[in-house]
Parts: sequence; C-alpha cells; structure tokens
Amino acid sequence: MTQPAPPPDALTALLRVTDAALAYLPLEELLVELLNRIAEILRSDTAAFLLLEEGTDELVARAAKGIEEEVEAGVRIPVGRGFAGRIAAERRAIFIEDVDHSYVLNPILREKGIRSLLGVPLLVEGRVTGVLHVGSLTTRIFNEADRDLLQLAADRAGLAIEHARLFHQVRVVEALQQSLVPQELPRVQGVELAASYRPASESTGIGGDWYDAFTLPRGEVALVIGDVMGHGLAAAALMAQMRTGLRAYAVDGHSPAGVIERLNRLAMLVEPNRMTTVGYAVLDLEHERLRTVSAGHLPPILMPPDAEPRVLSVEGDPPLGVASGTRYREQEFPLPAGSTVVLVTDGAVEVRGEVLDLGLERLCRLVARERDLEALCRTICHGEAGPEPGRDDIAALAARVRPLPDRLTTRWAASRETLSGMRPLLRRWLGKWGAAPDEIYDITVAVQEASANAVEHAYAPGDALFEVDASHDDGLITVVVRDRGHWRPPRGVHRGRGFVMMRALMESVDIDQGDDGTTVVLRRRLQGAQG
Amino acid sequence: MRALARVLIDRSGAVPVAALDGEVDASNVAEVGAELRAVVDNRANGLVVDLTPTSYLDSAGINLLFALGDEMRTRQQTLRLAVAPGSPIGRMLSIASLDRAHPTYSSAAEALAAEPS
Repeated sequence: MTQPAPPPDALTALLRVTDAALAYLPLEELLVELLNRIAEILRSDTAAFLLLEEGTDELVARAAKGIEEEVEAGVRIPVGRGFAGRIAAERRAIFIEDVDHSYVLNPILREKGIRSLLGVPLLVEGRVTGVLHVGSLTTRIFNEADRDLLQLAADRAGLAIEHARLFHQVRVVEALQQSLVPQELPRVQGVELAASYRPASESTGIGGDWYDAFTLPRGEVALVIGDVMGHGLAAAALMAQMRTGLRAYAVDGHSPAGVIERLNRLAMLVEPNRMTTVGYAVLDLEHERLRTVSAGHLPPILMPPDAEPRVLSVEGDPPLGVASGTRYREQEFPLPAGSTVVLVTDGAVEVRGEVLDLGLERLCRLVARERDLEALCRTICHGEAGPEPGRDDIAALAARVRPLPDRLTTRWAASRETLSGMRPLLRRWLGKWGAAPDEIYDITVAVQEASANAVEHAYAPGDALFEVDASHDDGLITVVVRDRGHWRPPRGVHRGRGFVMMRALMESVDIDQGDDGTTVVLRRRLQGAQG
Repeated sequence: MRALARVLIDRSGAVPVAALDGEVDASNVAEVGAELRAVVDNRANGLVVDLTPTSYLDSAGINLLFALGDEMRTRQQTLRLAVAPGSPIGRMLSIASLDRAHPTYSSAAEALAAEPS
C-alpha cells in the first residue's frame, strides 16, 4: 500500500517552516517570522513562544502574535503549572478544545477570550527549552497534521535558539575570561614576571581562578592570585569584581592588609557566602622586602638567591566572603636581588586524599629545577606538581627580582606619569652603592628635576622618549639625562626653581643644549661610600 | 587621584590641618593643589600643611606651596607648614627658602598652637 501524497498546501507549509533562509535571521526575527508563518498556515488567531529561562524553572514569553501583550508584560509561567507549564513538564503536545479558564494561568490568554489551544514543547537533545503554542478565538479542533506542523516549527526554533544561546555564552565566557587575566604583565625595570592559566579540561565554562599583576603608584609591584568557589558565569562575575576591587584599593594607597580587609567587605556586600581565596604579595624593590597577605589562600613559595625554595610560613586568615570585619595580617620577608616568588592556586598542588605539604614540596622542587620563569609557570599549569593534568583549573604567577646592573641605562616615555616609576629604581640603584638616605633623596630629586624638565619642555606632544643613564666610579655618582628636544628658557616666577634645586643638591650640573637635544650631567660624590 | 599621595584633612583645630601623606611630584601636584585649595575657604583664617608624613617633594610641590601661600596672603590668610627638622623634605624647603616665606614648625600640633601671625 502506498502512502497518499501529502496535499500540496501541506508540502508548501512544510517548506515554509523549514526554509533554510530563516537560518540567516537574528534569533528575535526568526521567532517572529516563524510565528507569522505558523499562524498563517494554521489560520490561528494567536501564536507564542515561551522559553525556559536558564537557571530557573520558569517559562518566559519571548515572541507572540495576536497576544503581543504577553511579551511586553514579561509573562512568566512556572514549569508544571497551567497550559504551557504542563507541556514543558510533560514534554508532549497538549490540545485543549474548550479552554477551562480556571486552568489557564496566563491572564492575557483569558482576557483575549481564547477558546482552543494547541501547544508543543521545544526540545533540544531531549531537554525542554521552551513551548510553542497557537490559539483560536473560536472553538476548533487542531488535528494531528496541525500538531506535526507545529512540532516541526518548534524543532526549527529550538535549534536556532540553542545555537544562539551557545554562541552568546561562548562570547560572554570569552569576554569575561579575557577580563580576568591581564592582557599583558607590567614591564618593570629590575623585575621579571611570568604567568600562566589553564582551565580544567572537562569544564565547559569558565574557571574560578584568576591572577593579576600591576605596579603601585609608589613603584612596588603587586601580585595577586585568587580562586572563587564554583564555576560558571556567576563565579566569573564575582571574580571580575574582586579583581577590579583589589586594584582600586591597592592603587588608592592602602596597605596590603588594608586592601584585603576592604576587599572582604566588598565580597560580603556583593556576594556573601560565596567563598573567595586570595593571595596578595607586594614586592618592594627599593627596600628589598616582600609583604604578603593570605585570605585562605596557599602560601607563596620564595626562593632566595643561592638557596632552596621554601614555602613561606604565612599566617593564614579566612577567605573573603566568610565573615565581615575579618582582620587580615600582613607579613614581611626579605627579598634580596635574585629572589623568586611563586604564587599558585590549589589546582597546582592539591591531590585528593593527600596532605597538602606533599604537593607544596613537589612545587618547591619544580621551582628549584626550572629556572626559566615562563617555562616554570607553564609546567605548573600543566599539573606537574599536582594531580593528573587538566583535573582542575590552575593559575601560576611568578616574579624574580633581578640584580641591578652597575651602570643603569634607561629610557622613559616623556610623560609626567613616568616620574614616580623612576624613583624606586633610582633609589634602589643608589642604595646598591652605599648612598646614605639623605644622599639618595637629594640625587633622586635632582634627577627628577632634570627629567621633569625633559618631559615638560623638550617635546611637542607625543610619545617621545628621554634617557636616564647612571654610573658610579669610586664613590662618584654621575647621572646623565638626555632628551631629543630643546629646552625653552624658564618662564614665570616659579619656573626656574628646578634648576635652583639641581644646583643646590649636586656638586656639578652641566647642561649642554645641542641641535639634536639637551643633555644634563649631574654629579655628586657619596660621603660614606666604599669606593 | 592615583594615590601617590593622599591629602588627610583634620578640622578639629582652630584652622584646618592638611597632611600630605605620600609623594608629591609633577604628575599629581595639580590634584593635590585642588584638594588643598578646597580646604581653605574664605572663612578659614589659615591652613596648616603638614609635611611630616610626606615621603617625596620636589620643585613641583614647592611651587604649589609658594603659589598657595601667595593666594592665601592676598586673602589675609596664613599658610603654616609643619616639617620634621633635619628631614630631607625640610632641606628641600630651606633650599627653596619656602621656610622663610611661611612660618614653619616641627609638627602639626606646634603649628596649630602657634599664635596667628
């Protein structure tokens, strides 16, 4: 027996809802277009899409025809209740010939006076993602062919919705992930920085780990590593807030403990009960000190020059988001030139059922063995010191303080903002030659006066550079500040004060204004220095 | 302000005390200046700028204090300075003769206790 051919109008209808051209429409337009075509083919008075809202058990009206108010009013139907709710819960088509209005939850359907309803679930890989229904203002029978056509349109919409959702999620996750780690690590004279991050291989979403590194206004280098409990967008959003909050408090000039205490208050405010651990380390290069605070985070590893790496015995304080008013303690460790600091998240060392110390020992051995910081971070993130690779998110951040060269050769952007960054380097370099605190201060001011002049007078606006070279010879410090522009003669009452300061603070100040720029040579002999 | 320096205001005395905590240079002197000028309104008969917590000050900051002192003088107000004796900041002030242009004391408390000149 041969199947009767479908009537020509049924075939046309089929083609109209499976039309490939629909795939090129944005999701909202696709839904509206499908509703138009369905309503026309089935000659229904109304048609509507309700989509299951992610993370909830509610259907939300997304597109409607004939009952547009439904979308405007943002009608929400709990799964399992009412007409649409039951279709979603029972995952099957439901036809109601004569609507018992007490049964329909949606007041708009009732107000419109809809008599007959047919609805089908939107199914994607067996999951319900929404409901499509059509309605008639007069009592009518929707037959099986109507139901099949409606289901076809629902399937078509279901796929498109799923694609749009996944595409959107991927973009959101990518954007968030990008915002959670610095685009590039800061470049600081005398410090080498490296970092790596690797999300768990089986996780589809975003990891809970983040790291950050930035310079503080007074020249210190801040290292941050953190871990927000959980995965997904909510964890990522909190992570982004914590990262921004920490930067803001740090740049505002608060002490490391002050920064973490404020961050805890912020965490309690925005999302209490979601635990976040943070390790915060501030590298004070000038005084060769490391200050650390731990909010429930793994202690840092410190490898001094010519010594074995060790786990810093940091007093651990509670994670963020646990209790308001938590006091955080700050600890200080010597950080001589050549030292390496490594911060990691638990994923790097934690093996289920094992004492944490074992993992930290493995990490120390790794730090001792791998001297290249980039390679070290990559190896840590590969899971070398922990469980099998890819089990958990891993973030690693490492810094090494480089010994300063005998002769300092530096280039700076001709901007006032670079002045404060120059001071710690200069102070550290002068300290290396045994300069007394007063001498360090005086020479620093003189070099800054020359540099400020180079910034202020030497250039047309732009990203020009100037050079500061410092050398030492048997107790005599010589600093040369060279730019490529022309100094204008000082103007105004206060303009010449920089020169007065330079001359008062240094033994000699020589200014050479040539065609290709201005060179200032500053000299001063250190008093107590060993030659 | 990128907190290279923070201006901490204490209004509990006869005149306000503005402590400059941190470093003042060409990059933040305009902001520090704006904060200091906001402290001295027309009613105040003076201001104490406390430089004891200041860790860096060069001609940018010294120029600001000269300019502020001149502005206040035209309004019959007195700028008083507090700076730790023998400190590098104190040396900068005397090189620039700022400590001779405006009464300078060794602490904010001393500056507050001084008779208005």
